[in-house]
Amino acid sequence: MEKKLSPLQTVIMGVALIVVLFPVFWILMTAIKPPTDWNASPAIWIPSEPTFVNFQTLFDPDALGKYGVGGVSQPATKAVLGSILATFVSTALSVIIGLFSAIGISRYGNNSKATPLIILSGRMFPPAAIAVPFVIIFSNIGLIDSYIGLIAIYVAVTLPFSTWMLKSFVEDLPREIEEAAMIDGRSKLAAHLTVTIPLIKGGLFATTMFIFILNWSEFMFALVLSYTDVSTIPVQLAKYVTATAGTLYGVQAALAVLAMIPLVIVGYLIQGHLARGMTFGAIKQ
Amino acid sequence: MTQIASSISLPTKGPTTKGLSNATIARVFTVPGQVVSMLVLILPLLVALYMSFTDWSPTRGSLFDAVFVGFENYSELFVYDTRFTYAVIRTFLISTVCLCLEFSFGLGLAVLFMRKFRGKSVLFSAFLTPMMILPVVVGYIFWMLFQSNGPINQVLEFMFGAEAMMEWFRSAPPAIFAVILTEVWHWTPLFFLILLSGLNSVPENPVRAAVILGANPRQVFWRVIMPTLKPVIIVAFVIRAMEIIKLFDEVFMLTRGGPGSSTETISLYIYKLAFNDFQLAYGAAAAFMVLIGSLVLVHMLLAPVRDQLLEGE
Repeated sequence: MEKKLSPLQTVIMGVALIVVLFPVFWILMTAIKPPTDWNASPAIWIPSEPTFVNFQTLFDPDALGKYGVGGVSQPATKAVLGSILATFVSTALSVIIGLFSAIGISRYGNNSKATPLIILSGRMFPPAAIAVPFVIIFSNIGLIDSYIGLIAIYVAVTLPFSTWMLKSFVEDLPREIEEAAMIDGRSKLAAHLTVTIPLIKGGLFATTMFIFILNWSEFMFALVLSYTDVSTIPVQLAKYVTATAGTLYGVQAALAVLAMIPLVIVGYLIQGHLARGMTFGAIKQ
Repeated sequence: MTQIASSISLPTKGPTTKGLSNATIARVFTVPGQVVSMLVLILPLLVALYMSFTDWSPTRGSLFDAVFVGFENYSELFVYDTRFTYAVIRTFLISTVCLCLEFSFGLGLAVLFMRKFRGKSVLFSAFLTPMMILPVVVGYIFWMLFQSNGPINQVLEFMFGAEAMMEWFRSAPPAIFAVILTEVWHWTPLFFLILLSGLNSVPENPVRAAVILGANPRQVFWRVIMPTLKPVIIVAFVIRAMEIIKLFDEVFMLTRGGPGSSTETISLYIYKLAFNDFQLAYGAAAAFMVLIGSLVLVHMLLAPVRDQLLEGE
C-alpha cells in the first residue's frame, strides 16, 4: 500500500529539507570564515578562504593576530574542560543512581502512582524557579561557583529521566530470567548485577547518551551558579556574545560548532531510542 | 512524603532466596534516587516559600537573619508588577502557537514519510538534526540568521526588494515571530519523530477494511488513522507542553527578553529579577508561584496520559 511521492510532495519535502539544514549550514560556514567575511554586508554564504583560525582562537586568543583583529578576552579552554568534567561526572552518577531506582521501582515497588508523578513533576519545574532557591541555599553553604554544586544539580534534574527511561528497559525484561538466577542460589543483588544489568546494556547505553545530551546542553543552572572558577561551553558562548557585542561571529560560531558536534554524533547513535527517551518511555519504537 | 515512604516499604511477591529481604532491597535501591528527587522538588519549594515572606538579599548576610515582610512580595507580584502577569500570558500564547505549528508541520512531514522514496533513512536522520542541537546554540544560530545583514534579510531583499528587510529585534512583533520560528524549527522534529512512530504502528487491517468498504484516502486518514493515533498525539503534546513552558535558553540568546520586556517568558522574567536585579526574595515569591502553578499544570496535563506514561503501555 506504499505509494510514491507525487511531484508536489517531492517539492515540499525538498523545501522542508532546505529549511531544516540551512541554519546548520550557516553555523558551519561561519565557523570557517576568516575575519573579513564575518560581518560582511551583504552576508557571505560560502567563505572565500576557509580557515580553522576561529577554532584556534578558542584556545589561543592571539591566533587572530595575523588578520589584525583583536581576539577574545578569554580562551574557551576552561569552559570546554568544565563542560567535560561536569557532564561526565553528573551523567555517570545520574545513570548509576537511576539504574538502582529503576530496578527497585520495577522489581520491588508496589506500583504506587505517587512516586512516578512526583518524579515527573520535578521534570516540569522551570529551571529558573528551581535556580532561585538553589542559589540562595548554595550561597549559604559555599557551593556557589563550584563544580560540586553544579554536578549535584545536574544529577538531581536528570535523575527523573534516567530512572524513568531505565525503568522502561528493565520492565521489558521478563522477571523470570532474574528469578532463575536467584533460584540458582545467587543473592538478589548478585542476580541483578550479573543478569539484569548485562541484559539491558543496550538500554543502559541509550540512557547514558540521553543524559549526556541533557547535561551537555544545560545552560540556565550553569549560568547562575558560575562566576569565575566554573564555566561551561554554553555559558562561555553567551559570554562571548555579550562581551564583544556579538561581533566576533567566527569565534562564537566555532565554539557553537564545538558544542554541537558531540551531540549530533550521539544523537544519530541513539536515533532509535530518541522517541522513547523524549517521551519518558511512553512511546517505544 | 509519607506516600513515598509507604510505596517502597511494601514487599512484593518473589521467590524466597537468600540474602536481603525484598523490602530491604527496595529501600536500598530506591532511597538514593528518592533523596535526590526530594532535594530538587521539596527543598526549593520550602526555601522559596520561606524566602518569599522575607526581604533577604545576598548583602543581608545569613538567610536566617532575614526580616519577615508578610505578603509584601506577593502583593507586589500580583498587584503592582504587570511584567509577571504579562510574562505568564506571553509564555502561554507562545507555547500554544508553537505547539500547533510544530504539530501541523510534524504531522505533514510524517505523512510524507509514509510514502515510498529513495534515501528515506538518510532524510529521516537529516530531519531529526535540529532536535539534536543544544538550545543555546540554536538560539545563537537564529540570532545570527536574523541580524540586519544576515541571510534571512538577504533572502527577503532578493525576493521582495529592499523594503522587506527588517530589524528583527528592535520591535516586539518581529522579535516574538523570531522566537516562535526558532522554537518551531528546533522542536518540529520531535513531533515528526513521535507521530511517525505512531503512524508506523497503525494496524493495517482496519485501513484495508475501510478501503474495501469504499472509503476514499481522506476518509481513511481522518476516520481510521487519526483516531488510532490519538494517544500518541496526546503524549507528544503533553511532553512538549511540559518543556516549552520552561522556555529560556533560545530566548536568552535571541532577545534577552527585549526589546524592553516584550519577549520575556516566565523563566526569563524570574532570571532577570533574581540574577540581574538581585531581588532574590521577590524572585523567590515569583518562583514559588511558578512552582505551584507547574505542579497543578503537570497534574492536569498528565491526566489524559497517566496510564500510558506511568504504566508503560
